[in-house]
Amino acid sequence: MSATLLTLAAAASEEPTVQLTSQTRILAALIAIAFMALILELIRRDSLQERFSVVWFVAGLGMLAGAIFPGLLTAVADLMGVRDTNVALFSIILLLLLGLALNFSVIMSRQAAQITRLAQERALEKAREQTAGSGESGGEAERESL
Amino acid sequence: MAAWENRRVISTLVFIPAWNEADAVAGVIADVREHIPDADVLVVDDGSTDETAARAAQAGATVASLPFNQGLGAALQTGYLYALRGRYEFCAHLDADGQHPPAEVARLLEEVRADRADLVLGSRYREAGGGEAAGGEAIAGEDYRPTLSRRIGTSVFRFFLTLATRQRFTDTTSGMRAANRRVMELFSENYSPDFAEIESLQLAVREGLRVEEVPVRMLERVGGSSFLTPLRSAFFIFKGMIVLLVGQFRPRTSR
Repeated sequence: MSATLLTLAAAASEEPTVQLTSQTRILAALIAIAFMALILELIRRDSLQERFSVVWFVAGLGMLAGAIFPGLLTAVADLMGVRDTNVALFSIILLLLLGLALNFSVIMSRQAAQITRLAQERALEKAREQTAGSGESGGEAERESL
Repeated sequence: MAAWENRRVISTLVFIPAWNEADAVAGVIADVREHIPDADVLVVDDGSTDETAARAAQAGATVASLPFNQGLGAALQTGYLYALRGRYEFCAHLDADGQHPPAEVARLLEEVRADRADLVLGSRYREAGGGEAAGGEAIAGEDYRPTLSRRIGTSVFRFFLTLATRQRFTDTTSGMRAANRRVMELFSENYSPDFAEIESLQLAVREGLRVEEVPVRMLERVGGSSFLTPLRSAFFIFKGMIVLLVGQFRPRTSR
């Protein structure tokens, strides 16, 4: 039992850790910076509200941190008990995106409910105007109010 | 606005959800006025792109027009909301396509007026006792005949809804209903826009309301066609089962 564990540990330490080349690190850093610039530009052009931008900005910072300090990634992988840093990276990203997508679905559901209620209130308002109009001067008042 | 809220109480509202039913809606309104003369008639126009709203107004109904198509659930909820805010004691709704004879709706209303139930459904499938035509007087039109996919869907829903509510329902997707204010209060706040008919029944039973089925005669639709193709039916059934399952775990509203 303990023997197998020892051999496993030995194998793990002998295996060369996956290292990013400096080229890919520079590329990743550039992409991260461009991504954050895009976020800022979208906010500036009112295409993205600040409250939705925070999470994307944090994601951009994370990308940048990963590019500058590759040791960070291996540390996280070790923490997760995953030998392959790539697997750790993809798992984290996948989970984050899954959470984000769910978050958006929740937001969309809430907004759909709000839109429905708004539409209903407007429909009731118009029906009310119609009944008020027909009580006084026939259909004329109704047409005016439209 | 205040005048509308505090106007003389007319106790019954009959509302008709309508989406592009310009050909049928005026006839249905006239029928409702004939058979339920003491009720106010509201047409909830669910974002129709045809003449539905204009024809309904011409026929003398009040029209609540949703600015865009929201689906049957939202349209029905609009009706319940109108009934609640308008201080109606009772309300009923029926389809705009002429499938639901207003004479039968009047019988549903009698049940809630007599306080025998909070929510009454008209059932196509429940057998009337004695074999006599339920309505008494003859109702002109061809009798309703369900298609195969509709029959399958109905029996699946019947099974699961019975399981969920421990109450026997035969016509779970019936769009012909009568209700009192307890139901208006519930449905105007909690009404699933996606799966209106079934989830609303589950909800009403869970909230301790008395739900009752009354056998009614339904007719073949006058114009238009059912939106259900076999594939859609399968999806509809699948979705319905999920909705029912989730509904079982929904917290009860504090009342």
